[in-house]
Amino acid sequence: MLTAAIVVPFLGALFLLVMPNSRERGLRVVAGIIATVPLIISVIAWSRFVGGDGFQQVERVAWIPTLGASYIVGVDGISLPLVAMSSLLFVAAIIYPVDFRGRPRSYLALFLFLESVSLGVFLALDLLLFYVFWDLSLVGMYFLIGVWGHGDGARRAALKFFLYTLAGSLAMLLAILVLYLSSTPHTFDMALLIAQRPLDSASGSVSAAAALAFSGFALAFAVKAPLVPFHTWLPPAHVDAPAPASAILAGVLLKMGTYGFVRILLAMMPATFERFAFPLGVLALVSIVYGALVALGQPNLKRRIAYTSVNHMGYAVLGIAAAGGLISGAAEARTLALTGATVEMVAHGLITGALFLITGSVWRRAETYEMSELGGLARKAPAMMALSVIAAFASLGIPGLAGFVAEFQIFVGTYAVYPWLAAIGLLGILITAALFLQLLQRVFLGTMPARWNAWRDLGPVELLSLASLLVFVVVIGVAPAWLLNVIHASVSPLIGR
Amino acid sequence: MTLWLLPLMPLIGAMLVAAAGFLPSRSRGATRAILIGSVGVASLATTLIVACAMAVGGVSGALGNVSAAWPWWGPVFTPRLTFDALSRMMAILVPAIALPVVLYAAASMREYPALARLVALLVAFTGAMQLLVLAGDMLTLIVGWELVGACSWALIAFEWHDAWRVRDARTAFLTTRGGDLGLYVAAAALFSTTGSLAFDAVGTLHGASLSVVAAGILLAAAAKSAQLPFSPWLFAAMAGPTPASALLHSATMVAAGAYLLARLQPMLGAASWLGPAIIVVGMATSLVGGVVGALHSDLKKVLAASTSAQYGLMFVAVGAGFTGAASVHLVAHAAFKALLFLCAGAVLHVAGTLDLRSLRACSLGRAFPLLATLFAVGTLALAAVPPLGGAYSKEQVLAAATERSAWLGAWVIAAGFLSAFYAARLQLLAFGMPERWSENTPGRDVPERDRSAPRRRAVPTTELVGIFVLAAISLVLGLFWLPDSTPLVESIVGGRLATGADWELPASLASVAVAVAACWWLFSRCALLNLGLPERVREYAADWLGLPTAARRLVVDPVLALANTLAALDDRVIDAGIRGAARVAALLSRTLAWWGERGVDGVVALLARGAEVIASLSRRVDDDSIDAAVEGVARDIGAAGAQSRRLQTGLAHQYYLILAVGVLAVVAVASASVVLAP
Repeated sequence: MLTAAIVVPFLGALFLLVMPNSRERGLRVVAGIIATVPLIISVIAWSRFVGGDGFQQVERVAWIPTLGASYIVGVDGISLPLVAMSSLLFVAAIIYPVDFRGRPRSYLALFLFLESVSLGVFLALDLLLFYVFWDLSLVGMYFLIGVWGHGDGARRAALKFFLYTLAGSLAMLLAILVLYLSSTPHTFDMALLIAQRPLDSASGSVSAAAALAFSGFALAFAVKAPLVPFHTWLPPAHVDAPAPASAILAGVLLKMGTYGFVRILLAMMPATFERFAFPLGVLALVSIVYGALVALGQPNLKRRIAYTSVNHMGYAVLGIAAAGGLISGAAEARTLALTGATVEMVAHGLITGALFLITGSVWRRAETYEMSELGGLARKAPAMMALSVIAAFASLGIPGLAGFVAEFQIFVGTYAVYPWLAAIGLLGILITAALFLQLLQRVFLGTMPARWNAWRDLGPVELLSLASLLVFVVVIGVAPAWLLNVIHASVSPLIGR
Repeated sequence: MTLWLLPLMPLIGAMLVAAAGFLPSRSRGATRAILIGSVGVASLATTLIVACAMAVGGVSGALGNVSAAWPWWGPVFTPRLTFDALSRMMAILVPAIALPVVLYAAASMREYPALARLVALLVAFTGAMQLLVLAGDMLTLIVGWELVGACSWALIAFEWHDAWRVRDARTAFLTTRGGDLGLYVAAAALFSTTGSLAFDAVGTLHGASLSVVAAGILLAAAAKSAQLPFSPWLFAAMAGPTPASALLHSATMVAAGAYLLARLQPMLGAASWLGPAIIVVGMATSLVGGVVGALHSDLKKVLAASTSAQYGLMFVAVGAGFTGAASVHLVAHAAFKALLFLCAGAVLHVAGTLDLRSLRACSLGRAFPLLATLFAVGTLALAAVPPLGGAYSKEQVLAAATERSAWLGAWVIAAGFLSAFYAARLQLLAFGMPERWSENTPGRDVPERDRSAPRRRAVPTTELVGIFVLAAISLVLGLFWLPDSTPLVESIVGGRLATGADWELPASLASVAVAVAACWWLFSRCALLNLGLPERVREYAADWLGLPTAARRLVVDPVLALANTLAALDDRVIDAGIRGAARVAALLSRTLAWWGERGVDGVVALLARGAEVIASLSRRVDDDSIDAAVEGVARDIGAAGAQSRRLQTGLAHQYYLILAVGVLAVVAVASASVVLAP
């Protein structure tokens, strides 16, 4: 059944390409319906989920038996929430109104293709399959930015994004090979590799192969997440991308980096991870503080939100680093940190997805992201203001909203392992508060320039799309047990083994 | 679960109020205001009734401590509310003060289009505060604590058309959130040591983690209760509408800090430095706040400074170990401070200004004797004149301080002198008789426009209702003075009171009398406004001795400058490093590709890519010559080898080709290694 979550959008993309000519609206409805299928599948998968170690609902087809490579998909408590969040975000992004540049068919087909391969990354339980999906997601995003992006730099930004992350993924390819060659028998099966941990030596020393593999993976994931200083592809890609693509880039693609840290590095080479955990935590801390400060310095609405992603992914990586910072001991706190990091991935996807979609609404009305040209829009667009306030407050970590649930657990959990990193990292939530309150003021409050007198409030589709994301932000914030239980079910065996 | 109704009813009530604001109302403002106001009042009234019923054992069935969990949070943490002696008093106080304030808000701003938003926020503010006071663990506490802060932002920025109000709201929010970080650290330290977030676990702490928890809590409490050096945020909070100030200064927000210390200080007793630290912070704030209050020329800001000062006194009592004294002062202060703020709102309404320089020309005392009397109830309580409850509670703080040391008692008497002074000054300047000036010293210090046309309207009766209720509460609290009330008071406020020394009461009453007499004397000499100080000195002192300016210069401006610098550097330097690495990588890959074309197979192509990766690892090749030379990534890459050139063509099939080649290369290498492996 999980396979359908990959195949249906893929077939849907093909179907859209051959569909007889119809109006944009009709195409959008069709794409929206196709995109809903993976969402329904993830809901069913959620209902079938039972706690416990290992992967569930696994589907397996032999692929290249001589190489030990197979088509294997399945979920655990870490990937399932990401799959569910991603498929929700894809529906919200696909139905979001955007300028198609006269090519609605290929835009929507690419979006569905991107959904197919993105879900593939989170569902794949075979490293080779994982790699293929990973790289294909780059292709989908490259075209979305390059063709439908706005601004003169769109193509250049798309290329930069592509080359940068491709360089990362090539490093990952090498690392995959090292991991593959060190396993006996040689296999790409992730479940086997997690059980075997072939690169972790019993003596606790780190072999050259392990260090090489770790660096390869870590580079790929650090570029993707992104961590400072590997983040410079992010702002241009975001600013020039169409808003729904930005939402997916921040909401889904960045998660692949943090997901990789957990799924591959933490699970398959914990002993090596422990040796590198502190430097990784420092890198995460730099991302938190630096990302927040640079975001505060941005006069451009979309760039500002883009940099908050650097900050938030920093929280997630900090939690992951703390979770892997010890081989044994402080298990409860490390479980908490990793649970928080996983919630952060989900929460950031929903929140930042919503924020980027809102920037899309701003662009459609104003054709600018410069906050100095906006202001006082609450007068004309109270609904847009209200939803922006919810999203911004969620992002700056106000309790009762999803971001807090993630960040509180990350900080409390990390403190037990790296007290100083956690304590300094807290500055991030103060700077984030400053930058979002300033953003709200510059865009929505104060006096409104007369040129925006004809500003329209959110339309029904925009409202529906944003509300579907923000409802979950509130639900997770108020009563997160349904989510935390699922994550906890897989995190605690991973930490406690 | 009944316990959860106490925070949830106001929170749900706030949503209902907000929904009522959406109703298409063609009716006149009054009908709408009645609807909105009654929904808000009703939700607070039910909260109050449930809290009272629980307090007397009517609902829970037992008078003992009740605790209730929130089961939907998660597998590790369970938020928990506790209804015990201390939280019981607060859970009743908060809605009891909020009720008349909301009544006043609905009455005084009934024509205001955004009334629903105001009332909804006030009611939600109350709900968040209920969550905070009932919290039984650090998680619930932080949830309530931060929600109170968020509500305060929305309330201060209520009139968002004015950019300065929004800016002030941000200042207030960020200052208090800076303190909130202390709570996060405290929670984290508590959990890492004890594996629990429950307040009960605090008592088991020792050593370094005890100190960390204590310091974090003190930081958070000092910021929330507007103690030094965080005090100036309360001035920024004045940008909010009057009902918001009334609530924020009395039973919500500011009260949270003192309450938290009263709640946790007994469990933190093992940290020997904590008590003295709390005393120092509180005493310093009390004295500096007193000076600021005695010198400021804005009615609301005098009240704000007095809030800091009075909470400073509560800190002193907690630091001295008598949480009951702090709690009883908190109750009395909440009543009279909300009263004073609502009166200030009425003053603004009828006089159109809160500037004491203008107000003394308005002869409000003659025009509105009732308002003057109600205000006097508040100022007399603030000045600690018996038999008002405010006097009783101040004497309790004094007793607590003297029990610690006579010197501390002397400092508290000095602080009491200051509060009596600024209370009397406020009453005289706002409501005193202006004829003396017009006869004796025409025009002195009085701006011409204000003197010529004071705005005069009647105080609407509906507004007076809320004020009356609060004045009545202040008067009823005078019952504290009944003989042998100590055990009863202790059981109500859930904390210890001190017995004190014999000389205290006369000394403190004498200081109050001297302060009031001094005020009167200065008033008659027309020197009460600036106390004979040069205007520049007065303004400097009244602005927290330049603290806001210092904070701006030392913290805010540098952080903003750093942010802007980093934002610029991020584009130029770090990205230049990446671009430089891309050039090096391109060079390497071109060289290797040249080799590759000479007949080496796909393995070498793979190596080339590996080299590319290694090259980008060495991206620290970051120097200015590269920065200057590099113009853009596309051109750099454009100079690169064949593969990179193909990437730039943007043709789909070539990408797929490259990917396919990449995958094939993997398969080839893997197969080779399988074959070659022994």
